[in-house]
Amino acid sequence: MPFANEIIKRNNVTILGSGEKTLLLAHGFGCDQNMWRFMLPALTAQYKVVLFDYVGSGHSEIAHYDQVRYSSLEGYAQDVLDICEALDLQDVIFVGHSVSSTIGLIASIQKPNAFSQLIMICPSPCFLNVKPDYMGGFEKSDLEELIDLMDKNYIGWANYLAPLVMGANNSEKLVGELSGSFCSTDPLIAKTFAKATFFSDYRHLLKEAKHPVLIFQSSQDALASTEVGDYMLKQLPEAELQLIKAEGHCLHMTHPDIINQALRAYID
Amino acid sequence: MTNKITNTKLEAPGLDAFQCGALITNKHRNIIYANAYFSNELNWQVEKLIGKSSDDLFTFSSKIFIESYLMPLLLHEKKCDEIQLALLDGKNNRISIIVNAKMDDQGHIYWSLFNATKRDKLYEELIETRNKLEAQAKILQSMSVTDELTGLMNRREINLRAPELLNQAKRYVHTVALLMIDIDHFKEVNDSYGHLEGDRVLKELGLRLKTFGRQTDLIARFGGEEFIMLLPDTDASDARLFAERLHKLVSEIHVNCTPVTVSIGITMSDGSHSLEDLTKQADTALYKAKSNGRNRTEFDQTSIYTG
Repeated sequence: MPFANEIIKRNNVTILGSGEKTLLLAHGFGCDQNMWRFMLPALTAQYKVVLFDYVGSGHSEIAHYDQVRYSSLEGYAQDVLDICEALDLQDVIFVGHSVSSTIGLIASIQKPNAFSQLIMICPSPCFLNVKPDYMGGFEKSDLEELIDLMDKNYIGWANYLAPLVMGANNSEKLVGELSGSFCSTDPLIAKTFAKATFFSDYRHLLKEAKHPVLIFQSSQDALASTEVGDYMLKQLPEAELQLIKAEGHCLHMTHPDIINQALRAYID
Repeated sequence: MTNKITNTKLEAPGLDAFQCGALITNKHRNIIYANAYFSNELNWQVEKLIGKSSDDLFTFSSKIFIESYLMPLLLHEKKCDEIQLALLDGKNNRISIIVNAKMDDQGHIYWSLFNATKRDKLYEELIETRNKLEAQAKILQSMSVTDELTGLMNRREINLRAPELLNQAKRYVHTVALLMIDIDHFKEVNDSYGHLEGDRVLKELGLRLKTFGRQTDLIARFGGEEFIMLLPDTDASDARLFAERLHKLVSEIHVNCTPVTVSIGITMSDGSHSLEDLTKQADTALYKAKSNGRNRTEFDQTSIYTG
């Protein structure tokens, strides 16, 4: 199975636990599959759990990175579909954090058979304010400042100027050395992911959802306000929203027990 | 001894005189401590900060950065060195800061904030320089591979790119044609009508070769009034037809109401020859075309695929 092996290596796919049901956990922008580690002990006891890194994140194979493909969320959704095909997954329960909720939605619409349910943790279909009807939370200028901030934070990293000195194609080794750390990746890759995440608008897809959706909404989340959660609940054909009284955008890291419990209650 | 220390302590000018911000938040992100730096330098009243969410201290873009990097790092690794963010002071001014933070087991975060206004300025310059260099590198790259006058690739570039095309021919077992094209009596054009007229002819020919060639053909100005075209997946009869059409195309260019003509030397290869060998063979054929009266095409007789 050369295709399967290639995808498993490319996306650093990890399979843990066993059970009748399979969960596919998809990390969000910024980090990698290690994000899920606080939830894993409880999940692997009961389910088969598939973890992965998007190409360009974590320990994925950077050589497969394609600037055009990963400039939109469809490219990341293709990673998800590739993994489903490689592992021959059907009726998988997709669990996505933040932008991965949208990525999962795209993938599930493209290939409904592969999925059975979508669990979205702190999702937002559009981070931009689209006045007057929708307040995603951010103005375009905020997001441009984010790209600038990313640039500045990458300057301190060894490979900031490397592509310029070595030629873009030769930076792979340097990038590899840096990707050992949890949140690090190539600056250009991170900026491309940021643009695909924060400048896009996938609200129109919500109505097209083909599976039941469970949304975990944080009561105080700077990236996805409760209004965004309510909007999604209204637009999705079959959805449930659980409001978690918590601060922040990483419920799966800060409140893994609450999420695990609610998740189990929902899918069993 | 003990007394002495106590005395010194009492006489100390206040322990909170650090030139950096120190902040402690609880697990709900509420500020439970802020040092005097916030009132001395950041226009906040410390009492008013207590109980506020740390989210309120940062710009929107910084909030995304905090949620995407800082918090995951703190939750995962318990500390985070050196992240640049933008802080809002008590008067809503945006201030660049460097943050170092650690988290304890109860979820308290200990924040150290350092003013990074000057560093930010340097970074802006660095980013600007990088962008400039990138744009420059792009221009230089394109200049280094292009013949300035005709816009075709130069001799250096075709030398670099030919091996791949020849290897492909070998791998996929098809033949390649190399055409050496030389403008007839070009020296006379220059001598009689001046170099500007000569340049115009070269430009016109370059443009025609470019529009006539396929995407996969390699077309270069090889030197002076000499051009070469390397045509993949082309047999001898294709090449002959190609050359005939080329002669016709060139005759559209006129100098003093007289059509320009070219002589063409062609050699064929299965990909096992070097570009150098092929140009030598094509050059021999070109010489033959010249001596047979110009405005014509000849094939190199040593190449086995001669049509």
